[in-house]
Amino acid sequence: MSGPVINDCIQEVINLVSDASLAQKICDKYDCSLSASACVLNYLAKRERELSLDFSQTARAEVATSLDVAYVLFSAYLIFGPMQLGFTLLCAGAIRSKNSMNVLMKNILDACTCAIGFYLFGYAFSYGHKFGQSSNGFIGNWNFALSYTTEVSSNLALGDFQTQGWHVWLFQWAFCVVATTIVSGAVAERCTFVAYLAYSFFISSFVYPVVAHWVWSPDGWLSAFNTGAAGGYARILRTGAIDFAGAGVVHMTGGMAALMGAWIIGPRIGRFDASGKVNEMKGHSATLVVMGTFLLWFGYYGFAPGANLTIATMSGAVVVSRVAVNTTLSAATAGLVTLFVRYIKSATWDTVLVCSGCLGGLVSISAGCAVLEPWAAVLCGLGAAIVFISSDYMVLYKMKIDDPVGAVALHLFCGLWGLIFPGLLAKPQYVLDVYGDHGLGTNVRAAGKYGILYGGHGQVLLCQFIEALAICAWVGTMMGTFFFIFKVAKQLRVHVDQELAGLDVTKQVVEQYDTGGSVAPQPPAERAAFGPGVTTSAFYSNGGEEAVGYGPNV
Amino acid sequence: MSTSLTATDIGSCNAATILSLLQYGIQKNDIQTLCEDGCRSYQDCVNAYLLSQTAAANAKASEVSESLDVAFMLYNSYLVFMMQLGFAVLCAGSLRSKNCMNILLKNVLDSCVGAIGFYLFGYAFAYGLKPNDDGNGFIGNWNFALSYTTKVSHDDDSDGFSKFGWHNFFFQWSFCAAATTILSGAVAERCNFAAYLLYSFFLSSFVYPVVVHWVWSSQGWLSAFNTDHDGNASILRVGAVDFAGSGVVHMTGGFASLMGAWIIGPRVGRFAADGSVNEMKGHSATLVVMGTFLLWFGWFGFNPGSNLVIASTTATRIVSRVAVCTAMSGGAGGVGMLLYKYVTTRSWDTVGTCNGVLAGLVAVTSGCAVIEPWAAIICGLVAAVIFCIVDHFTLYVLKVDDPVSAFPLHGGVGMFGVLFTGLLAQADYVSEVYGSTEWGSTAKSGKRYGILYGGHGQILLANFVEVLSIIGWSCFMMGTFFFILNKIGLLRVSVDAELAGLDITNRLKSGTPACNGVPESSQPGSSGDRHQGEKGLGP
Repeated sequence: MSGPVINDCIQEVINLVSDASLAQKICDKYDCSLSASACVLNYLAKRERELSLDFSQTARAEVATSLDVAYVLFSAYLIFGPMQLGFTLLCAGAIRSKNSMNVLMKNILDACTCAIGFYLFGYAFSYGHKFGQSSNGFIGNWNFALSYTTEVSSNLALGDFQTQGWHVWLFQWAFCVVATTIVSGAVAERCTFVAYLAYSFFISSFVYPVVAHWVWSPDGWLSAFNTGAAGGYARILRTGAIDFAGAGVVHMTGGMAALMGAWIIGPRIGRFDASGKVNEMKGHSATLVVMGTFLLWFGYYGFAPGANLTIATMSGAVVVSRVAVNTTLSAATAGLVTLFVRYIKSATWDTVLVCSGCLGGLVSISAGCAVLEPWAAVLCGLGAAIVFISSDYMVLYKMKIDDPVGAVALHLFCGLWGLIFPGLLAKPQYVLDVYGDHGLGTNVRAAGKYGILYGGHGQVLLCQFIEALAICAWVGTMMGTFFFIFKVAKQLRVHVDQELAGLDVTKQVVEQYDTGGSVAPQPPAERAAFGPGVTTSAFYSNGGEEAVGYGPNV
Repeated sequence: MSTSLTATDIGSCNAATILSLLQYGIQKNDIQTLCEDGCRSYQDCVNAYLLSQTAAANAKASEVSESLDVAFMLYNSYLVFMMQLGFAVLCAGSLRSKNCMNILLKNVLDSCVGAIGFYLFGYAFAYGLKPNDDGNGFIGNWNFALSYTTKVSHDDDSDGFSKFGWHNFFFQWSFCAAATTILSGAVAERCNFAAYLLYSFFLSSFVYPVVVHWVWSSQGWLSAFNTDHDGNASILRVGAVDFAGSGVVHMTGGFASLMGAWIIGPRVGRFAADGSVNEMKGHSATLVVMGTFLLWFGWFGFNPGSNLVIASTTATRIVSRVAVCTAMSGGAGGVGMLLYKYVTTRSWDTVGTCNGVLAGLVAVTSGCAVIEPWAAIICGLVAAVIFCIVDHFTLYVLKVDDPVSAFPLHGGVGMFGVLFTGLLAQADYVSEVYGSTEWGSTAKSGKRYGILYGGHGQILLANFVEVLSIIGWSCFMMGTFFFILNKIGLLRVSVDAELAGLDITNRLKSGTPACNGVPESSQPGSSGDRHQGEKGLGP
């Protein structure tokens, strides 16, 4: 091709696009031998292809964001609605009917108090950080009363809506409510209202958010999402703790607070006789307990899979669905194992204990649900059942702590087991899939950051231990001090007369409804409080087929 | 370049054209399609190619987002339908156990009857619009028995599906069911079954849909979505801002309840001869708490779902903010009621607190999309107090016996919620939510926002008009309806049946002696000797 031809071409192209430099580029890049207009068309076709790719990508990104927000919202509804109701019914059924109104009230109020506390302070302490900066490793310091969220949602240029938007608050609040409500059963039948209100405000606005900040915020010192160490790794052992849905953050925090509360407030009158022997105090409605369990299980499908926070990518969808499967398997296994363990020991089929077993399985799987194989989830549930039964026995008979609904055994000990479990059986590939983009880095396989039973180097296990210790120490200190101060101030426990009469009939709660409601009020329950001691481990020893304690509904 | 292609002509293209097209980097199978569609020169072919590519990308993106919207709406409808269980359980717990089975059956049946009524007439009266027709501001007149919906859902080209599709009907029906069921508690323990069936058909097929048409349909005279006047609404250029229906759903149901409870008269023994109030306690607080939580859960479908779409950035912001405001107001309502009750009666009142939560939820339903979270807290706190005042007023001044406080909760608090929006609607949020209309996109410059932010009060006034028209319409229609039924003696059960309890008169074959195996210890009519007023407002 000769020079003049090319120059003609450029001239014609310049005429077409009216830009010399662009014309030069077009002529360099495309074959203009046919005609100048062909050459420009060639260029346009290429541009159009890129644009349409671009366009479909932005459109897809917008739809993906919407899908994620919808998913997070629906998960939050599942946690708040069925789970909160489940806890309420479970507590109401598991205590004596004379106090059921009182515990119902406590459960509905902690949801209300949490909403205010978490709005004003909690969310800021857990995830708040100034725009473009990181907060410190211990506590968040921005976005009080959702000020920053309001800003990012009106100014999308800030680009933080995905991580700090309204939906995130709602989801985190639902988690916070779960952690808070765990205590209500442990101190049931004897805690004053004022103390409980103060407790729920304190834990939801300060104690829980700090733990969440440590483990889940990108700035937390223990977080696997922290990429602040050299090379973009997490700060602790270049790994950080793997606590996917909060066996530690939510359940151990609540369980530890429950332990402190139940221990400091002391046992119910008549729970232990003078010689220290345990008297049985049976719950009043197995129907309510079963109903509560199913609602909790249902709600758990928001709790565990929802913790992935995103579903709009292929990998997100894979993780979410795997989590749902693992959650199911662990709960089912734990329920079955408790059933058989109990049958072997005492030859009864115990309905209520099976319910607790299922819940133990759910609690335990929360930490590892994203990084375990389904068969490992089965093992996790199996371990949870044994941990639950033995720790329940230990709390009541060795530590002599009266925990009416087994909250300590369920949330603290099963939570602890669940937290350690990924250290044993986290699968390398899954760890890489879920945490590879975050603090664990892409060298998961090379550095052995997975379960030691797969041949890992034990960093994960160690981090899990550190998390367990840190949570126990922090919550133990804070809630221990809190309850102790209330005890010294004589605000923690109701008066002896009130306790004996039942909180519902004292003026504490307006008794305009027949007490307890769902089952006939039961004089036997009252007698059982002072009756002869029993030696079986759980307080539901006559549940199941014998069903002595449960009235006509069982 | 493959020589095999150059040798053959395809469709309208000759070998040279195909060669050029290949030079542009267009794929073989695309060329095949283009040429078979009959493009003439290579330039024509390239143009056709470019246009079709853009269209394909557009279609792909909008198809996914439409599916997401449909899924979103369906799930919200399921949540709203869950509220039926909440209402049923709440009513059952708030009544004496001798009537428990009866009220449960009423609650199940109004969903059933409502489904038929809303299918045959209701949806058409609410949203029906003949294609290429202007419709009228008072009532819809098309799509009876879902005829038009059936048609558009066959037709892929029509964009009617996103507006009139199955999911729309389903969502609107779940709202209608919520409005219908409000009344069941207010006339509980004494209403004739046939009367209740007639009522639920009448409300769901005519009274409620007309209100919906006024306020939410794009033709309604009061609607904020009416753009007939140069893109502005008819009333004060704004229309009523009632996002999820404090007025449309709750006030309609609430004032129907007032009419029902007033015309049917109090339960036997509710008022003593000298007019003093006897207490009649509900039988299960557990059920009340359960109902409250289920309703709160369902409300997350009710309020955020009312945005109808989520597949855009703006929509996600609105939906998630609405969810936050809903949580805030419910929580604040519970806390507000607890403290109010404690201050006034020195007792911690569980059932009162539940009512407080519900009051907060009802109140925020209207403004949830346009107020700030702190305003939602104020909304909930005030709603709790308003509930107590209206409840006291209804029982002690109007002497209307409303067993579950349906009128104070839905009518009174709903009214407050609608007006509250006029006070604290935030300018940016108004433009965000109503930006598709002319008045909404200029909300800030036109000062069309809450008067406490310095707005000019159009929204407050328009919402006030909404309040008045709903009260007028609902009271007039339902008042006439119940009055006629009362005259012909169909409204109320006989005194004997009422005293014995509706469950054990022969109208119901209940398998269990009472709802939850709770023996009713008190004799009918003797409930006066129980202490304290219902809802703790006693002297």
